[in-house]
Amino acid sequence: MALMAANAAPASTRELSRRRAVRRFKWSILAPLIALIALVLLPVLFLQLYFSFHQWTVYLGSWSEAEFVGLDLFTEVLTDPRFGWAVVRSLAFATGSTIGCFVFGFALAYLMHKPFRGQAVYYAIFILPMLTVPVVVAYTGEMLLYQSGPINDLVTRLSGIEFKPAWLTNPNIALPTVMLLEIWNWTPFPFIIMLAGLAAVPREPLEAAEILGASRWRIFWEVQLPLLRPVIFLALVLRFLEAMAEFPKTWALLQGGPGTATETLPIYIFLTTWQYFEVSKGAAMSYIVMLLMIVIVLVAIRLLRREKRALDAMYGGGAT
Amino acid sequence: MTKSRRRRVSTAIRYAVLTLWAIIAFFPIYWMVATSFKPDTQWFAWPPVYFPEPPTLDNYRNVWFGAEQYAATQYAISSQKPLISLGNSAIIATTSTLLAVLFGSVIAYGVSRHRILSETRMFQLLMLRMIPPIVVVAPLSLYYAAVGLTDTFAGLILIYFLTSLPYAVWMTKSFIDEVPREIEQAAQILGASRWRTIFEIVLPLIRSGLVATFLFILILTWSEYLLALIITKTQVTTVPIELSKYQGSTEGRVYGRQAALSVGITIPLMIVGLIIRKHLARGFSFGMVRR
Repeated sequence: MALMAANAAPASTRELSRRRAVRRFKWSILAPLIALIALVLLPVLFLQLYFSFHQWTVYLGSWSEAEFVGLDLFTEVLTDPRFGWAVVRSLAFATGSTIGCFVFGFALAYLMHKPFRGQAVYYAIFILPMLTVPVVVAYTGEMLLYQSGPINDLVTRLSGIEFKPAWLTNPNIALPTVMLLEIWNWTPFPFIIMLAGLAAVPREPLEAAEILGASRWRIFWEVQLPLLRPVIFLALVLRFLEAMAEFPKTWALLQGGPGTATETLPIYIFLTTWQYFEVSKGAAMSYIVMLLMIVIVLVAIRLLRREKRALDAMYGGGAT
Repeated sequence: MTKSRRRRVSTAIRYAVLTLWAIIAFFPIYWMVATSFKPDTQWFAWPPVYFPEPPTLDNYRNVWFGAEQYAATQYAISSQKPLISLGNSAIIATTSTLLAVLFGSVIAYGVSRHRILSETRMFQLLMLRMIPPIVVVAPLSLYYAAVGLTDTFAGLILIYFLTSLPYAVWMTKSFIDEVPREIEQAAQILGASRWRTIFEIVLPLIRSGLVATFLFILILTWSEYLLALIITKTQVTTVPIELSKYQGSTEGRVYGRQAALSVGITIPLMIVGLIIRKHLARGFSFGMVRR
């Protein structure tokens, strides 16, 4: 920059060729990326749109024979009470498990953010659930939770009261059971993010508050929490999105049952498409859910961008 | 006096709470391992058997090495298949992850140094990961069937590559941002081309970060379920799919066998995760939280 100002004419041609080189470099990277995304995503989005407007069943030979039905499929989906319930269940599941994960994860992170003996061991144990394959979580969950299984046995022995809920077969508690497994599986996520966040909180305001004689509760509430806001948002938003998409545990464990008790959106779409073979209805449903998720993701991204700026400021500036 | 006592009490409470959670976190994993060593009479025994007695290796022998003597019984599942799917998983996960990290780190370099993607575009890239795969998986399977990618390595590798790219770009970028520019400027003044600068200066400097990114994405790819379930049929099943085949295929549950399989596919993941435990925060927050 300084060079440019001092010696305008020759520098500008050099600057021009530099800029051209950067542009060439940029497109040599981005062109294959865009081509690849276009090659996979465009046909997929086209097919999805096509099937959403054309009634196609497996009995028809090729896709082109499908009959154009306009918005019928969308009307069908939107008036389907099962779809409505699936939306409700998904939102409830995602909200509940996000809050659960966050509360436990944050509490553990808060208890652990100052160095103490055995910290590394606790940390290693606490992240193990996250490193377990979701399908494994489902099957291990079944081994633990069947009615005369170890969890009910342990609770009965420790409390002395007969404790025998049918975790997996009682429709009233099946969804909370999956939520419980989700919370077990993913509490490590907010835990590690909040731990990193707590470690990055600048020391000066905390020390100042301590010197001024603030109670630990007030320091937490009025100093640490506001400083942690970006990290909290980050953990909540990412966890919520993942929970909305949860499929492996719910499917492997209960396939939406008993009845429709655990039929969340991913499960209902899966059932419609691969068990009832209503590909067109499944596509219309996917389309609606995709639009819904895009709205949620765009809001999430807005939040994340804002919070990322705050984070960058706190860490003393990332490059972008 | 009272202050030190209060501190001691709060320390005790802290250890108690942390230990309680450690038990909650660890017990299911213990149960999985314990069940994998139980003979079939103890799988559903009442009261539950907490310590396999006597421990047996039968489950492992049967599941992993197809040593099932009585092939007619209900839990004689295709012998030796798990080893094949373990190999498949290894090939698919490492290839797609390697490609994602390689390509992702070059993009990340471009973004970090020349802003080839604006911040908006960087966030749009996240959509590849954040939109749940279930909403595109049906048309994807039809498209794959049409172009012959169903049930192939290439098909799964391609889709895993695309879905892990956002993580790869964001995470490696957070490492590249930490490399001082002066080093590569010196290299360029000495006449190194941009590509040589990337591959011989910048990437070697962040190699531990690249390894962390690689292992991090490996964890996610290894345990992916839905896409693998739809895209694979019989040829290239991955380990989570192989495990789910043990469910529902028989009238009785085969907990011991499932557990032996679970242990086999989970332990590698836990080792990998513990190796990169310091970098997990960076990975899961798309590189937004550093540690």
